[in-house]
Amino acid sequence: MRKIAIVGSPNVGKSVLFNNLTGSYATVSNYPGTTVEVSRGKGKIGDEEFEVIDTPGMYSLLPITEEERVARSILLDEQPAVILHMIDAKNLERMLTLTLQLLEAGLPVILVLNIMDEAQKAGIRIDSRHLEKELGIPVVEAVSTTGKGMDVLRGRIESYARAKS
Amino acid sequence: MPEQNPKKNESTGGCAIGYSDTLEVYIAKITELLTSKDYKISKRALALLLLQEDQEILKGVQEKDVQNFPLIEGIIQEAKRHYTQPLNYIISLRRQSEANQITSRIMSFGKSPLISMQERLSRIMMNPLTGGPILLFVLYYGLYKFVGTFGAGFLVDFLENKIFGNYINPWVTQWVNAVLPFKLLQDLLVGEYGVITLGVRYAFAIILPIVATFFFAFAIVEDTGYLPRLAMLVDQLFKRIGLSGRAVIPLVLGFGCDTMATMVTRTLPTKRERIIATLLLALAIPCSAQMGVILALLEGRPLGLVVWLGVIIFVFLLVGFLATKIMPGELPTFYMEIPPLRLPQFSNVLRKTYSRLKWYFKEIFPLFIFASLLIWLGQITRIFDFFVRILEHPISWLGLPSEAAVAFLFGFFRRDYGAAGLYDLKKIGLLSGNQLVVACVTLTLFLPCIAQLLMNVKERGIRMGIAMSVFILFFSFSIGYLVNLILNFLHISL
Repeated sequence: MRKIAIVGSPNVGKSVLFNNLTGSYATVSNYPGTTVEVSRGKGKIGDEEFEVIDTPGMYSLLPITEEERVARSILLDEQPAVILHMIDAKNLERMLTLTLQLLEAGLPVILVLNIMDEAQKAGIRIDSRHLEKELGIPVVEAVSTTGKGMDVLRGRIESYARAKS
Repeated sequence: MPEQNPKKNESTGGCAIGYSDTLEVYIAKITELLTSKDYKISKRALALLLLQEDQEILKGVQEKDVQNFPLIEGIIQEAKRHYTQPLNYIISLRRQSEANQITSRIMSFGKSPLISMQERLSRIMMNPLTGGPILLFVLYYGLYKFVGTFGAGFLVDFLENKIFGNYINPWVTQWVNAVLPFKLLQDLLVGEYGVITLGVRYAFAIILPIVATFFFAFAIVEDTGYLPRLAMLVDQLFKRIGLSGRAVIPLVLGFGCDTMATMVTRTLPTKRERIIATLLLALAIPCSAQMGVILALLEGRPLGLVVWLGVIIFVFLLVGFLATKIMPGELPTFYMEIPPLRLPQFSNVLRKTYSRLKWYFKEIFPLFIFASLLIWLGQITRIFDFFVRILEHPISWLGLPSEAAVAFLFGFFRRDYGAAGLYDLKKIGLLSGNQLVVACVTLTLFLPCIAQLLMNVKERGIRMGIAMSVFILFFSFSIGYLVNLILNFLHISL
């Protein structure tokens, strides 16, 4: 079974996305560092069933803490078919560095701009089509807590994974 | 040597970052030497991680490219000599500037709103002057009123006396006595320490309402984003006693569950911090179950609650202070993601409360039943009486009645179980205010449960885990003894 790994800084909504994709429940909190261990579940996207992996938060591909090491080892050892890099759209600038590292490593990344509602409220406008061209990977806007953007994301995962196989 | 301008490296795809020409030369040299086919990420990324001396990657490359490894090491050293700043810093800086450039092209700020209500509230929460009263407000209404008065007072009373006392217990006892003619089996199910009359009743009538209300209140507080702000608030206090602010995170989580929080100490960067945090968690941070039953025990005795809180805070500061003195080390700088304040989603709060409750019950319920069985066996074989008699001595040093020995024996299994036993004693009026406070202090300082003991051993190693437990055992009784002594000496009765 091919794998989908969800990565990103702490508290950007990885566990909510995990719950959404798998239909199971990992504890969700408004608190960084809640996920210390790796959660795994199964989720059907299109016609294919994937193993979905929720990882502890990571800031960089160069790990400092034990949990970052755990998250990286999943990327390095398990060769996921799709990596969903989730970021808080408000902090795009700071979190984009991990996207750049993942691309540098030649990994199959989809960038998820999450928490778009708060970004919009703060007056931030993001041209995600343009960002897609800049990075050369799919970019999806989402509000995972309300489910906004999830259908689009599923569609992008499906076509991305199909192109790879 | 001045750095040349970074350039785009076209060969590695559309968006790859180009580093400075000098660095690119080192990257190219290392990339050439990485000949194994087993690498799962690009050689360029590997070369960059090697230049930043990532231990795990170094080890991997040493195994896969045995022959070239010394050459690679040579290049890394050469690169390091070439720069005055750490390579890690140079690489991160370049990457951040690339991210900034991309962002500036695709992101724009509309009219930036004035400082929002949320931001203002957030600052008030983190300011020591205004944050203190807010903390007291949260503790008073969230914990004392909701969990203590409503959960431990009203709900427990309802389930204990009305449901179990009037209906379930008499009905089950009658039924069992009618169906099972053997006294021994009757005792097992519905006796003084029976599986149903004690085990099931403790679990559903005492622990369930308390823990459910606590988890509910905790989930709300957690989802608003208050906890990281609390961490920032306490950080300022922690620095004064020489503790790193980062340790606040697992410590605050410990109020939910110490076992989980002990696992979260993994996020702390140094071994020293992990040990101190683990010790403080095991000793001075009561978990939700402990906290709940302690609130229930001290319900209606606000002064006793204050003394209990004072003693626990004192022990926390003292042990934290001593531990940092015994294990001196550099204080790492503390920074933490502060998520925005959010209105909790009611569905998430309910779901979280439910999933934690389920998880908690799955763990304790079999243990409660098992403990009832064990006690039944112990009573038949008289071993139980033997242990109780041994325990009566240290119990009497604490100034507690000998009946409390049974509760403390339960307490070895799980502190909440023991506290539920004390609750029974309180109900029949066997414990004075002083005795309640002493018992609560001792039970709080104890390791909360077998699960945490196992987690300590798992995370800190068998020697450290056992040493900590022995220390905590003696320390908790000593403090209980001292508190009793001081209260008596000062003729205080709570």
